[in-house]
Amino acid sequence: MEYFEPKSVGDALSLLSKHGSEAKVIAGGTDVMVDIKFKEEPGCLVNIKKIPSLTGISESGGSVRIGALTTIRDIETNAVIREKLPVLWEAAHQFASLQVRNTATIGGNICRASPSGETLTPLLVLEANAILAFSDGERSEPFKSFFQGPGKSAAGVKGLLTEIEVPIPPAGSKGVYLKHAVRGAMDIAMVGIAVMLTPDAGKNNVQDVRIGLGAVAPTPLRAPKTEALLRGKPLTAALIKEAGALAATEASPISDQRSSAENRRWIVEALTRRGLEQTWKAATGKEVA
Amino acid sequence: MSVTINTTINGKAVSASAGASTSLLEFLRDTLEMKGSKLCCNTGECGACTVIYNGKPINTCVTMAADAIGAQIITIEGLADGDKLHPVQQAFIDTGAVQCGYCTPGFIMSVKALLDRTTKPTPADIEEAVSGNICRCTGYNKIVDAIHLAADKIAGRA
Repeated sequence: MEYFEPKSVGDALSLLSKHGSEAKVIAGGTDVMVDIKFKEEPGCLVNIKKIPSLTGISESGGSVRIGALTTIRDIETNAVIREKLPVLWEAAHQFASLQVRNTATIGGNICRASPSGETLTPLLVLEANAILAFSDGERSEPFKSFFQGPGKSAAGVKGLLTEIEVPIPPAGSKGVYLKHAVRGAMDIAMVGIAVMLTPDAGKNNVQDVRIGLGAVAPTPLRAPKTEALLRGKPLTAALIKEAGALAATEASPISDQRSSAENRRWIVEALTRRGLEQTWKAATGKEVA
Repeated sequence: MSVTINTTINGKAVSASAGASTSLLEFLRDTLEMKGSKLCCNTGECGACTVIYNGKPINTCVTMAADAIGAQIITIEGLADGDKLHPVQQAFIDTGAVQCGYCTPGFIMSVKALLDRTTKPTPADIEEAVSGNICRCTGYNKIVDAIHLAADKIAGRA
């Protein structure tokens, strides 16, 4: 196995162009090291951790920019994330264990493109963008079109995720990330759901709502029919019930060792209801009518 | 392909070569013959291989040895001062927080990292600090007792 430590994004891209699908990018390593041990060694390992420009969190012009090599722990302990992007903070806080959070990077969690990736549904409901570098230039890809299947993303084999650009949600909106797993720590979600809700000025109706579903389809996904059902209406108990049932139909879960598909649909229904109740109450100060 | 690892372990400069895909745990145990960090799940789930890396607890089984280059690493072997055990080690003995003992080095490193951050840990701090360490003998209550005792000893409260 060949091994490289590029010092710049340009050098990393040259290596990826040269080695193509033989090359594997490694950052924190918490997933890739397991693959190397239990699946197969790549032909060439490209360790991007020596590229200094890819780490850090900054806020400007209504957005937060997060370098792809920023660790999950650095996201969890960052004051801007806690205050401006609490839905992402919640996912970081529930991510694996402290040891893994100290090593794993947000870029790795994203490029792994696992349907259960903890940070992915929050990024979907935040309508964040992946900043991707290719040898012929940079482009911004919304996360709604970034994920193409388990382990497959718009970065492909020759692109590099360098940054995540997250628009700060409008004042008055509230988000929540709900994870259902057997164990609190170190467990993969059976279902993970992110909900972001913005009430209208009078706090009487849902102005905007975004629902992200994780671990219930080949990619994390939004629930557009459920969102459309809710927009412009007051959030009543009857509407929440209808929304939960509709969200369950927007998922296409599989049965595996963690859960049956049927159970996953029930959990989608329950967590969607819970997420709507919690965000409505937090955003309006009112109980659901 | 091998990489030369120049690193600092328990305050001492170390230089040795390692394969590019070698984990830091394999480097510690097999190259440096430091057997205190334990190989258990080998997938980053159980915490038996925990060391303190630049001040933070990490799982060495899923860390590349190459990432040790230039780092400051503390392992379980670096805690005792001669025959005098570190307060966290002594607290595990005094409270009987050891059953089979296999998970103990990893727990002790996670607890040391916690008590380096604060000597007044809340129950939530403690739960978070050791949530990535699994004891299959399930002796968690005494481990929590040991953490309180060690915190009190380090802060001079006991």
